[in-house]
Amino acid sequence: MRVYIIVAAVFWCGYVDSRKVRGISSSYKRFYRERKSFLCIDGSRMIPFEQVNDDYCDCEDGSDEPGTSACPHGRFYCTNLGFRPHYIPSSRVNDGICDCCDASDEYNSHTRCQNTCWNLGQRERAYVEGQMRTLDEGLRLKQQLIEEGVLLWREKQAQLRELQQVAEDLQVKLEEHRRKKHEADRLKEQTLKALEAGNSGLIRHQNSSVTSIFHLLDTNKDGSLTVDEIKAKVVLVHDEQRVLSEGEALALLDRGHRMDLSKFQSTLWDVLTRGDTVKIKDTQGAPGSLSSEDPHLKAADKAAEWEATNLKKVEEAYETVNMEISDLQKKLAIDYGTDWEFLFLNGQCYKLKVYEYTYTLCPFNQVTQKSTAGVEVSLG
Amino acid sequence: MIYSTAVVQLMAPLLVVGLALCLSGTWAVDKGNFKTCEQSAFCKRQRALKPGESPYRALLETMELTNTRLTLQLINDNNKVRLLLELYRLQGNITRVKINELKPLKPRYEVPDVLIREPTTEPLSVLSQDENGVVLSLGVESQRVIISARPFRLDIMEGSDVLMSLNSRGLLAFEHLRMRKDTFSYKVTSTVASVWDNIKRTTKEEEEKVEDGMWEETFKSHTDSKPNGPSAVSLDFSLPGVEHVYGIPEHADTLRLKTTDNGDPYRLYNLDVFQYELYNPMALYGSVPVMVAHSPQRTTGIFWLNAAETWVDISSNTGSSETPQTDVRWISESGIIDVFIMLGPTPKDVFSQYASLTGTQSFPPLASLGYHQCRWNYNDQEDVKSVDAGFDEHDIPYDFIWLDIEHTDGKRYFTWDPHKFATPKEMLQGLMDKKRKMVAIVDPHIKVDSNYKIHNEIRSLGFYVKNKDGGDYEGWCWPGSASYPDFTRADMRAWWASMFAYDQYEGTMENLHTWNDMNEPSVFNGPEVTMHKDAMHGSWEHRDIHNLYGLYVQMATAEGLIQRSGGVERPFVLTRAFFAGSQRIGAVWTGDNAAEWDHLKISIPMCLSMGLVGISFCGADIGGFFKSPSTELLVRWYQAGAYQPFYRAHAHLDTPRREPWLFGPENTALIREAVRQRYTFLPYWYQLFYRRDLLVHPVVEEGARGVTAYLPGKDEVWFDVHTFQKHNGAQNLYIPVTMSSIPVFQRGGSIIPRKLRVRRSSTCMEHDPYTLYVALNLQRTADGELYIDDGHTFNYEKKEFIYRKLTFANKVLSSVNLAPDAKFTTDSWIERIIVLGASKPSKVTLKTADGQEKQLEFDFNASMSVLTVRKPGMNAGADWTVTFQ
Repeated sequence: MRVYIIVAAVFWCGYVDSRKVRGISSSYKRFYRERKSFLCIDGSRMIPFEQVNDDYCDCEDGSDEPGTSACPHGRFYCTNLGFRPHYIPSSRVNDGICDCCDASDEYNSHTRCQNTCWNLGQRERAYVEGQMRTLDEGLRLKQQLIEEGVLLWREKQAQLRELQQVAEDLQVKLEEHRRKKHEADRLKEQTLKALEAGNSGLIRHQNSSVTSIFHLLDTNKDGSLTVDEIKAKVVLVHDEQRVLSEGEALALLDRGHRMDLSKFQSTLWDVLTRGDTVKIKDTQGAPGSLSSEDPHLKAADKAAEWEATNLKKVEEAYETVNMEISDLQKKLAIDYGTDWEFLFLNGQCYKLKVYEYTYTLCPFNQVTQKSTAGVEVSLG
Repeated sequence: MIYSTAVVQLMAPLLVVGLALCLSGTWAVDKGNFKTCEQSAFCKRQRALKPGESPYRALLETMELTNTRLTLQLINDNNKVRLLLELYRLQGNITRVKINELKPLKPRYEVPDVLIREPTTEPLSVLSQDENGVVLSLGVESQRVIISARPFRLDIMEGSDVLMSLNSRGLLAFEHLRMRKDTFSYKVTSTVASVWDNIKRTTKEEEEKVEDGMWEETFKSHTDSKPNGPSAVSLDFSLPGVEHVYGIPEHADTLRLKTTDNGDPYRLYNLDVFQYELYNPMALYGSVPVMVAHSPQRTTGIFWLNAAETWVDISSNTGSSETPQTDVRWISESGIIDVFIMLGPTPKDVFSQYASLTGTQSFPPLASLGYHQCRWNYNDQEDVKSVDAGFDEHDIPYDFIWLDIEHTDGKRYFTWDPHKFATPKEMLQGLMDKKRKMVAIVDPHIKVDSNYKIHNEIRSLGFYVKNKDGGDYEGWCWPGSASYPDFTRADMRAWWASMFAYDQYEGTMENLHTWNDMNEPSVFNGPEVTMHKDAMHGSWEHRDIHNLYGLYVQMATAEGLIQRSGGVERPFVLTRAFFAGSQRIGAVWTGDNAAEWDHLKISIPMCLSMGLVGISFCGADIGGFFKSPSTELLVRWYQAGAYQPFYRAHAHLDTPRREPWLFGPENTALIREAVRQRYTFLPYWYQLFYRRDLLVHPVVEEGARGVTAYLPGKDEVWFDVHTFQKHNGAQNLYIPVTMSSIPVFQRGGSIIPRKLRVRRSSTCMEHDPYTLYVALNLQRTADGELYIDDGHTFNYEKKEFIYRKLTFANKVLSSVNLAPDAKFTTDSWIERIIVLGASKPSKVTLKTADGQEKQLEFDFNASMSVLTVRKPGMNAGADWTVTFQ
């Protein structure tokens, strides 16, 4: 019984085949309706219908021979039931090579072709299913990566915000420390200036200074200046090395052997402050040394130094935070895909060994090639 | 088989182009690597001899004449050395003249394996003789040879015309072998009584001048020890009435040979010349010592059978008022004088005379006439697969894909790179499934490597060429240190052939064929990039056999391919080096050319020159080997190559890829069209006997808008094969061209069978029907042939072929069997008959052998006078007539 059905099926197929024009797709059937004549599809020529597929090329466009190799620019439609249909050039019809999986292109050749469409179709379907599975798996993975990416992204964003807050705070601190340092510096400067002024006799308007110079000269602190004290502390402006003579010292004491503060203020003080003949001997070297001795100056100096150190610390902290911010911003500026699905790749590295070379790919970062000899080359 | 003749004639019209070439070589070879005549001691010595009274005298009293052989002694009056002259009359109007020393110190080399057999001799007879000379009859007509005694000279006469004279300028020179006088061994031997004769002789002689370079010669740090001393031979030939001489390839020069008075002679010495220069007489990869002399009255040929380094001087009196005459002088470094004088009288006669001596072009497998895709290198199997697929994708046919040296395991021939070509059989099967084939390279230099089977076997068998000290010769080539098998040994060649067996050459199948490159032989660190002349091939020096080495390599390889198939399949082997007789073995290409317009132009005269001396299966690398072609140049090269016998694209390793589809769709289409034209003409290319029915004038100028072609023949007509436009002969025709134009004309009076269903490869077209192109002449007749066989075996030798004569006369086209005893059947039928230059018939009737008659449909284009007969449908192997009423 089964045999009969097959035979019948074959007969039926054969019958249908004989009425069918070989090598066309169903969408072209309308051009090949059996009539007395056939119009080439490009409209160039009318030929008797029996010349369709008679293995002789009549139409310029090859449309009269869809099922043979007669036309140089024709094409043959592989129906490929069970698989994908497609066109092949007419030159591949009956050339001894199986091109259509349904074997329809080799209907009159020395080659026996198997109909492999069902197998191919199955393989294709299995493949597509496999692809779908892979795709699903991939999508799942992707979703996971997206979730991770989003989390990571948020985390990084939060980190960034925190850092920015820290930076702002630091900024305020920085301003304050700058101000403080400035203040300390100014104070120090002032003190120093004042000291320097005293030292070089430029402090004439301040009584306290007259007194202090007087005390400076009055070595034995008896309230009056003597010739010896003058000789010890005062020198000529133009010859600092020479000790003053008795006569010169006496002259400076206004010919008296002693001179009290009020006399000093009206006589020698003027000479000293004029500064063109004599000056106080530089017994202790540089005015700085003089300054360092000064307790006010010392305090001011220390304060300035303190403030500078503080400022530097804050500046460094500020710089570090800013660098972190910019690093983070750079990373966040990279395109990690619409949903940050590639974010996880950042910071990963992958290695591949090809013959004697090891390639390292660190996404969003760098690619290198390292030979077994140890030479490493950056590939960008 | 007159295949060679036929190809020559097919290509002969191309001469139009050949002669039109301008002299503009711009490219630079490092000339300093190669010798000039001045730097080649024997050439310098010989060329110093000026024409004048010859010191040679014929000793008529020593003349002996058997039926077919005349011998006669010659004496050099200066040194009393005697020579033996032999003269033969050979079948087919050929005269052979051999001159050797009467008693050489040791034998001198006579070239074996080039003549297909010992030539058949014909009777000679003395017509007259006196003390001044002898007159011999050459049998046919009024041809005579006059031997003059003092000085010796030969004149070949026909009636009162001198066809050719030998030694008429007194340049016969034969350097006899001699003992070296300043050596210890000479002094020892000269005291020994047994060499008394020798001493007697030398004391009688005039003291020989010892010149530089006689016993040793140095060129660029390479010293050639010359244990045999001077041994050169030279002879002059005068050709009265001749202004045009051709042949003696291989040179990158015009087809017509130039006079050499103001420069070097043409040199024949097989050399691997890196980036050769155009339009000069320098030696190239191959040598055929054959010259063809042509005048409107007569064509003759000279075949100088000598395999040593040879120089050819040409001078002519052109321009003076006397009868034109060309003088030729051949100089070879060693061996003997053995010259075949082919007396024509027509060009075709000369070609068949030469073919009767050295054979015709081997009948190639049909597929090898298709298109070949080559490159140094296709990287791996995947690459091969994708290039193969590219041809299908772009619908361009091809038959062979090629693998250059990189496919091997470290340049060890007969092996495959284990990574890149791990499964060669799989690759070959993939090609076979598409009815396509492959060629892999096998060069003759063998890597010196004790882990390499081929090397170990050759060494243990003692098959390597030896250096002058008796050790295996070693040189530098692609694999590094390499040795060179001694292909002059028949036992070595047999062993080499056996290496191509499928179980020896692993990974091979029947669709793998072979390419022999570097077989000059190329030795990177040798003198002039080749082998030292004092290397030894058994008892012969490399000096003696040099130009023959490449022929032997190809011969052994082809034999291997035949043997592996059990003698059934025709081999395909391409060679770069060649010699006279190489045509019997396979194909030749013009070596490492360049992607320049001048190189495209020169490919035509270079291949024509080879065709004239029998090697017709010739081609040039399409696109040019070195450098990168412009797209226009590449397209034009594909178009020109489509009409040259061997059609292969090739490119250097350093050049960008250039498969036909890499230059945009427009250029892909142009190249596709050129290749498809080639495939439609394959039946014609394949014909055993065909004639000068196609005239091709490819475009070889950049930016050309038109070409001018000379259409020969006063009473001929020619049809453009693309437009069917008719043109009269004997005119210069200007043809406007576009990028798609390949001007090709079919001669009126010819019938050309074509297959218009162009498929993936030639094998796919095997059973396809034919279209007959019948081009009528002024007498409204035409004829042609149709030859069909299986396309790849030697079964045609067993008469398995179809060979038919097609004739159009009296309005009847008929097919008649020319080989009734041959048996072959074909599926192919006649699908279309196109009659060019036809008039409109009222009806067309087909009559088949069984007497049945059938009216045929036809279409007549009155404006072009083209008649197309629709689907006559008879089998191509059958008898039939088609009547046009």
